[in-house]
Amino acid sequence: MDFLSYDFLRRALSAAALAGPVCGFLGVFLTARGMAFFSDALAHTAITGVALGLLAEGAVEFWFGFALPPGLPSGLLILWCLGAAWLMASLFESARWRPDTVMAFCFTGSVAFGVLVLGKLGRYGFLEETLFGDINANSWGDVAVLGAVTMSAVIVLGRRLREFLLILLDEDLALADGIPVRRLNRILVLLVAAVVAIALKLLGALLVSALLVVPAAAARLVAPNLRLLLVFAGIGGFLGSVGGVILSFYLDLPTGPTIVLTQLALLLIALGLQPLLGHRRRSQSRGSAEATTSQSIWPSSESR
Amino acid sequence: MGPGSEQGSEGRSDAADVAIRRAASRPFLLRTEGIAAGYGDEAAFEEVSLEVFGREVVSLIGPNGAGKTTLLRCLAGILPLRQGRVEKAFGLRMSYLPQRLSFDRLLPVTVAEFLSLRLGRPFFRPGWAKQERVESLEELGVTSLLDRRLGELSGGERQRVFLAAALAKRPQLLLLDEPATGVDLLGAAAFDALLHRLRDRDGLGILLVSHDLHLVHHISDWVYFLNRRILASGPPKEVMREDQLAAAYQRFPHPG
Repeated sequence: MDFLSYDFLRRALSAAALAGPVCGFLGVFLTARGMAFFSDALAHTAITGVALGLLAEGAVEFWFGFALPPGLPSGLLILWCLGAAWLMASLFESARWRPDTVMAFCFTGSVAFGVLVLGKLGRYGFLEETLFGDINANSWGDVAVLGAVTMSAVIVLGRRLREFLLILLDEDLALADGIPVRRLNRILVLLVAAVVAIALKLLGALLVSALLVVPAAAARLVAPNLRLLLVFAGIGGFLGSVGGVILSFYLDLPTGPTIVLTQLALLLIALGLQPLLGHRRRSQSRGSAEATTSQSIWPSSESR
Repeated sequence: MGPGSEQGSEGRSDAADVAIRRAASRPFLLRTEGIAAGYGDEAAFEEVSLEVFGREVVSLIGPNGAGKTTLLRCLAGILPLRQGRVEKAFGLRMSYLPQRLSFDRLLPVTVAEFLSLRLGRPFFRPGWAKQERVESLEELGVTSLLDRRLGELSGGERQRVFLAAALAKRPQLLLLDEPATGVDLLGAAAFDALLHRLRDRDGLGILLVSHDLHLVHHISDWVYFLNRRILASGPPKEVMREDQLAAAYQRFPHPG
């Protein structure tokens, strides 16, 4: 456990241990509702948020002569992501464009603007860290913000888990049961935004959505039911991100990519375990094959 | 527009009598007055006034695109009204069974978990469904499916699970959307018997949307013929005369 003697590594590990499980858990909702690309788009819009944080830091230092307290720029980043998510969700509902169109112009616009600001600030080198993450990026202030966001996400999800899961199953049934579907959908979008913002520094804008999507995808392969799907996704998120940080330290690899590849390794392990759990699937009836193919444009394994 | 108002002129007084007898001496469960709703700019239906009482099976028939499913979604509180109002009996418990659920078939959710969520029982301890003897689950043969996944059930099994969940909430009014479309629900005869048992034993009001005119004809106590508006209403043997249906479908050919 000699790696714990390094302060930067303790910070990175705390960030990974906090963000990993929550991201994995949220990913279950994201993947089941076809929102995987949304988290990716959101992460890209965060580049502007990062640039604005730097701008604010520089401006305050220049005009007022003191440094912003640590953690404040990541607070700004969270606010930016929440705003961007809210804007995109509103545009989805206005139904003027299809959701993927909205995401495409929002995120390209934000990337363009963010890069412009970084360039003007002379902090172009910061881009690499923003895109791919940095083990050293999180200060203890950032970790504190991260902890606060994680706690509130856990509280919100925990209190309304039944409602969120019912919406996951069928929005109409949830509405008929009197569940405020629109409001909870917005809350989910905002939670994703906040979590993307806090995990950004470790993984980078290009890679952060993997932390949401991959553990849930892996858990799906091995979980026999919905309860264990949620648990496995959380555990997978934890193992992948903490393991990735440790590996990147020992192997001297960039942190974000190492975490993502660790997650993918877990996915492959789950894929390998799947045949061993095959007895669970043998009871599948004809109905399932027809139901699966109707969901997907690809032929399912049963029909091949 | 009252029930029976578009009957042929010679049948009018008869139809009015029947309608009065239907409503006599009992309060309605649900009543709408001139409601309209739709998606986007287009109204799916308008000026719909109907009533559902307890202890009766009411069917909603009409061609494709007539607004039947939209009307049911509206009554279930899924879609907002554009016009008119819906009156419900005080404290009415209502259950809605959609045509199909839009859920992700690959999501590993078990029947017991689904029931826990629907019925507000502890999600992380779905053992209750086996220990307690829930009447609707036994009646519909769902107890043997509890550990199966929703996604791997056959269409008929899944429909049975949904219906059992809807009934386990002990509703007074049941809204059913195409409950028997091409599925081996229970076998048609058993399905008829179930609906009549729910009506007679439990006093349920049932509002049913169906394409299956044969089913509707011998199952219903009252029929509304809808094609964007209510075109006819009454007991099935009056509304569902062949000449009348033919005339109605011809006058309002379904759009598209």
